[in-house]
Amino acid sequence: MLLLPKFDYEEPKSMREALATLSELKGNAKVIAGGTDLLVNMKKGTVKPTRLVSLKKIGGLRDIAREDAGLSIGSHVTISEIADSALVGSLFPVLARSASCLGSPLIRNRATIGGNIVTARPAADLPPALMVLGAEVQLKGKGKGRTVSLDSFFTGPGSSVMKAGEVLTRITVPPVPSFTGGDYIKLGHRAALEIAIVAVASRLTLDGPDGVIVDARIVLSSVAPTAVHALSAEKALTGQRPSEELFARAASIAATECSPITDLRGGADYRCDMVGILTKRTLLKAFHDASGMKEGGA
Amino acid sequence: MKAYNVINTRLPRVDARAKATGDARYAADLAMSNMLYGALLQSPLAHAKILNIDTTAAKKLPGVRDVVTAKEAGLVKYGVSPARYDEQVFCSEKVRYVGDEIAAVVAVDLETAMEAVSLIKVDYEELPVLLDIESAMREGAIAIHDDFPGNVGAEVHQEFGNFEEALKECDIVRTDRFVNKRQDGGFLEPQACLAHYDLNGNLTLWSSTQSVHYVQRSVSMVLGIPIGKVRVIKPYVGGGFGPKAAVNTIEIAACLMSKRTGRPVKMVFSREQVFLHSRARHQFFHELTTGVKKDGTIVALKNTCHLDGGAYSSFGIATIYYAGSLLGAPYKLPNMKYDGYRIYTNKPTCGAQRGHGGVAARAAWEQQLDIIAAELKMDPVEFRLKNIMKTGDVTCNDFNMSSLGMKECLEAVRDGSGWSRKKKKLPKGKGIGVACGFFVSGAGYPIYRSETFHSTATIRLTEDGGAVNLYTAAAEIGQGSDTILGQIAAEALGVSLDDVTVHSGDTDFGVDLGAYSSRQTLMSGHAAKAAAEDTKRQVLEALSEVLNVSPVDLDIAKGVVVFKKEKPDFSRLRTAYAKEHRGWKDIPSEGELTFREAARIAFLTRGVIIGNGAYKPGELGGKYKGAAVGTSPAYGCSAQVVEVTVDMETGKVTVDAMTDAHDCGFAINRTNVEGQMQGSLSMGLGEALFEEVKFDGKGRVLNASLGEYRIATALDMPNVRTIIVESDEPNGPFGAKEVGEGAIMPTIPAILNAIYDAVGVRINELPITSERLYAAMKEKQKK
Ligand SMILES: Cc1cc2nc3c(=O)[nH]c(=O)nc-3n(C[C@H](O)[C@H](O)[C@H](O)COP(=O)(O)OP(=O)(O)OC[C@H]3O[C@@H](n4cnc5c(N)ncnc54)[C@H](O)[C@@H]3O)c2cc1C
Repeated sequence: MLLLPKFDYEEPKSMREALATLSELKGNAKVIAGGTDLLVNMKKGTVKPTRLVSLKKIGGLRDIAREDAGLSIGSHVTISEIADSALVGSLFPVLARSASCLGSPLIRNRATIGGNIVTARPAADLPPALMVLGAEVQLKGKGKGRTVSLDSFFTGPGSSVMKAGEVLTRITVPPVPSFTGGDYIKLGHRAALEIAIVAVASRLTLDGPDGVIVDARIVLSSVAPTAVHALSAEKALTGQRPSEELFARAASIAATECSPITDLRGGADYRCDMVGILTKRTLLKAFHDASGMKEGGA
Repeated sequence: MKAYNVINTRLPRVDARAKATGDARYAADLAMSNMLYGALLQSPLAHAKILNIDTTAAKKLPGVRDVVTAKEAGLVKYGVSPARYDEQVFCSEKVRYVGDEIAAVVAVDLETAMEAVSLIKVDYEELPVLLDIESAMREGAIAIHDDFPGNVGAEVHQEFGNFEEALKECDIVRTDRFVNKRQDGGFLEPQACLAHYDLNGNLTLWSSTQSVHYVQRSVSMVLGIPIGKVRVIKPYVGGGFGPKAAVNTIEIAACLMSKRTGRPVKMVFSREQVFLHSRARHQFFHELTTGVKKDGTIVALKNTCHLDGGAYSSFGIATIYYAGSLLGAPYKLPNMKYDGYRIYTNKPTCGAQRGHGGVAARAAWEQQLDIIAAELKMDPVEFRLKNIMKTGDVTCNDFNMSSLGMKECLEAVRDGSGWSRKKKKLPKGKGIGVACGFFVSGAGYPIYRSETFHSTATIRLTEDGGAVNLYTAAAEIGQGSDTILGQIAAEALGVSLDDVTVHSGDTDFGVDLGAYSSRQTLMSGHAAKAAAEDTKRQVLEALSEVLNVSPVDLDIAKGVVVFKKEKPDFSRLRTAYAKEHRGWKDIPSEGELTFREAARIAFLTRGVIIGNGAYKPGELGGKYKGAAVGTSPAYGCSAQVVEVTVDMETGKVTVDAMTDAHDCGFAINRTNVEGQMQGSLSMGLGEALFEEVKFDGKGRVLNASLGEYRIATALDMPNVRTIIVESDEPNGPFGAKEVGEGAIMPTIPAILNAIYDAVGVRINELPITSERLYAAMKEKQKK
C-alpha cells in the first residue's frame, strides 16, 4: 500500500514567509502546488520532505495577465485555467493545446503550470510549447530574483537550474511576431491520461504572407533527457521559402536530433520515426496559421 | 410477446441513489471499533526456496498484535478446482512468483503493520526463474510444483468428428497463429475485507467478492471452522470481471488473525497487489487450422493452445477447457479437434476474466474466417450467414442452442452499420470489420462437484403486507443483478419494483454460486421467480379461503388482486383492515383489493409468509471428459461491426463507431442489457489496443498501476449503437439469458478485421499499439 508519510504543512500568506521557511529548512522543505506530482513521489518514497509549503494563499500567483502584448502567467495558475483561457487561446493557441492534452480533467483542475515546469519531466506537456514561444521563468530566492529562459532551464530528467529554496513565481511569454503560427502534437496510446510517447512543438515566423521563414523553432519532447530544440532542423528552415519538401527535409533532420530510449511506452526506433512525422505535421500547421495570420498578430 | 409490468422496461437501478450520492459503502469503507489492520509479506523473488523465516523483530514492534506464517496458518491446500488444489495461505517451502504470500501482520494501524512486515527476515535460496512457456517446458527445466515435472499443469485433448478425414474434403485450408497478452482485471475497487471472529466462535467476513459461497467454503475448509459458523457478506462491490470469483489470501489471513486476536481485522489490497494477485486473463498462444469448401462451408477446425498460467491453477482448469470449447459455434462445424496445455510459470496466477477462456480464441478465429472469406471472394457477413447456427441446433461438442438469435444479430449489425455501403468502399486508412461470438449462461456444474442447488431465494412478506423482502446470496458487483432479481420477483409476484427490497450477497440468505460465467440472471433469476410464485400462491390461497373464491380464479398484478371471474364483495375484509389501522391515513379505498390488504390477511391467517425458490440446471448434453465446461442451459450470442481510422503515418488506431447486437433471450432491464454491452465493448477495445501486463527479467510487474497499464478511457470509446435481440430462451426465467460476458467476444476480432479493411495488414499479436501496427505497415511496404 502506498501511504503518504507524515509531514508538516503550512500555508504562508506572503512570499517572504515562504522563502524564509524554505531557506531555513534547506532541502527538507518543499513547495507544494497542485501536488499531483509531489504527493505521488512522496507516496513512492522518492522524495521525503519534512515540511510542505503551499503557495495557495500567496497573492499574485494565480493570474493570467497581458504584458506588452505578451502574457505573464502566475505559477499557481492551473492547467485547466490555461486550457480554458480565452486570452491564452487567442494569443498562444499552442500553449492552450498543450494544456488541454495534459492528464485528465481531474488532474488538470489541480495541476499547475509552475509544477509542470519545476518537475522537469522529460515528457511534460507544457515545456515544449512554452519553449517554442520563447518563455522565461522568474525565480525568487531569499535574496535577489532572477529570470531564466526556459531553453536553459532544464538540466536533466527531474533536474533544473533551480536552487533549493527558490520559488518559481511567474512565466512570461513574449509577444508573437506577425505571420507566426505554431502547433503542438502529442502522440500517446490513449485519448486521455497519457504520458507522451513522443511530442513535438513547432513555431514558424514568415516575413510576409508568402514570405520566407525568418524564425523557426522545433522542440522535441519525450525523446531525450529534457525537451530539446532540433537545432539543425531549425537552421535548415531559416531563410527558406516554405514548402512541403522543405518541411519533409527538416522533419527527417529532426528525427536524427533526438536520443530516445526504449521503455514501457515505446521503442527508440519508433520514437525517432515519429519525431519526423510529428515535426512535419506541426510545421505544416504552423505554416498554415502563419500565412493566414494578419500583420500585427491575431 | 406477453405484456409485462416490471420487466422489459428501463427502470432505474435499485442501487442508483446510493451510488450516485456516495452513500454506498464498499469493503474498504467498513470499520468496527477495536479494529486491527493487516498487511502481507510477499515474496520479492520469483522462484526461491525458503530457508528460514524470522519474525522476532516484527513481533516486538510496539503496536503489533499478531504475526502469522505457514506455521500458524497450516498447510491445507486449496484452490478453485478440487483436482488442482495447489495453493497454501502462506508459502512454507518455496515461493513461486514475485508476490507469493509468506506472512501477515496485524497491528493497531496500517503504518505499524507495514513496518512490521519490513522487519520480517526471510532467507531464500534462489531457484531458476521460468518466465515463459518455452523455458518452463524446456527439457530439464526445474519443476515449479513437484507434482508436475515439465510444468504442464493441465492438458486437454478432444476431438469431435474427425478433423484429419474432414480436411480431405476441404478446398481451402489455412493455419494461423495468434497471441494476446496477459491482462489485469482493471476493476475500480481493489480487493478488501474485514473479518470478525466473535466471542461465540462465529466468524463474519465482509469482502469484495464475486462469490460469497465459494469464499465461505474455502475459509471454512482452510481454517477448519464449521461452515455453519462462517458467514460471508458482500457489501457494494466495484467490479470483479472474474478475478474476485475465488477466495484470496487476505480473506483467509484476516479471518485467521481475527480468530487469534479476538479483534476485527481489516485488510485491503493496494493497486500493485491487485496486479500481483492477478487471477485475470491468461496469455493464450493459439494455432488454428481451418478447412472450408469452395462454396464457403466451414468443415473442420484444429485448435492448439498453450496457456501461460502463472504460478498456481486458480480457475485455469476451466480456462483451458473454455479455450477449446468456445469455438465452433455459432457456426455449423462438424469436425473440431482441440489440444490445450496450461503451463506453470513463475508469474502471478491467471484465472477467469470476462469471456472466460474464449476471448483470444474468438479473436484468432474470427480474424482467420475473415481471411478465408477474402480468399473465397465472399463478403464476410455472407460467409458467416452461410454457416450460421439457429435455434435448436446442437454443436459437435454437444452444446444445445435452445435459443439462438445469431442470424438476427448479424443482420441487425449489417443493416444498422450501413455495412454494404461501406465494406471495401471506405477511403484508405478507414475500415470496417465484423465478427460474431457466443457465450454460456452459467456453467452446468459448480466449480466443485456437487448436487447442490446453484441458487436459492427466499421471499418474506412483512407482517403489514406493505413490503416484499427478497433474500438471495447472488452477488451484485456493479453489473445490476440486484435490480434484475428485484424486477423478476416483482413481476412474478405482481407488485412494483419499489415494493421489493433486495437483500443479497450474504451466505445467511441462502446458496448462490455467485457472479461468474454469466449465470445470475438465468440461475438466480429462476430461484427468485420461483420464490415469488410460491409467495403469491400462499397469499392467494389465504385469500381464497376468506373470500370463498377458487385460487385459480385469482391473480395479482400491478399491486392489486385480479379476480378473473366475478369480483366478490370484499368490504368485510377491507373494514377489518381499516380497523387494524385506525388513525392511519393511507387505508386503501379504491375499487381494487390491494396486495397489501391481501398479504395482511395472509399473515393474520397463516403467520409469516415465506416463499422459497431453488434452481439447478437439468441434465445437460455431453458425456465426454470436460463436457462440464461449456455445457450450459442457454447460450447468448452477439455480432458487432466496428469502424476504425488508422493514422497511416503513426499507426494509431481510432475506433470511430461500433454497432453491437446481442441476443439476451429476453431483456429484463433494457438499460442494463445495453450497459453490459457497452462495458464489454470498452473492455474489448482496451484489450485490443492497449492492455498488457509487462514484466522485467526477474518476474517483477513493470506496470502495476492504472497509469502505465492502460484501460480504455471514456474518450477512447466511440458512441455505440446497441441493438437488443430477443429470442425467448425456453430455459431462462421469462426467456432471459446472458449478456454480461458474451458481448465482449466479437469486439477484438471486429477491430482487427476493420484494421485490415483500412490498411491491408493482419495483426496476430495484441495489443495493436500504434508502434506494432506501424511496424506491420512498414513490413508490408517492403514486400
Ligand atoms: C494521473 C496523472 C496524470 C498526469 N498526466 C500528465 C500529463 O499528461 N502531462 C504532464 O505533463 N504531466 C502529467 N502529470 C504530472 C503532473 O500532473 C504535472 O506535471 C503537473 O503539472 C504538476 O503540477 P502540480 O501543481 O501538481 O505540481 P506539484 O506536484 O505540486 O509539484 C511538483 C514539483 O514542483 C515543485 N513546485 C511546484 N510549484 C513550484 C513553484 N512555484 N516553485 C518551486 N517549486 C515548485 C514541487 O516542490 C514539486 O517538486 C500527471 C500526473 C498524474 C498523477
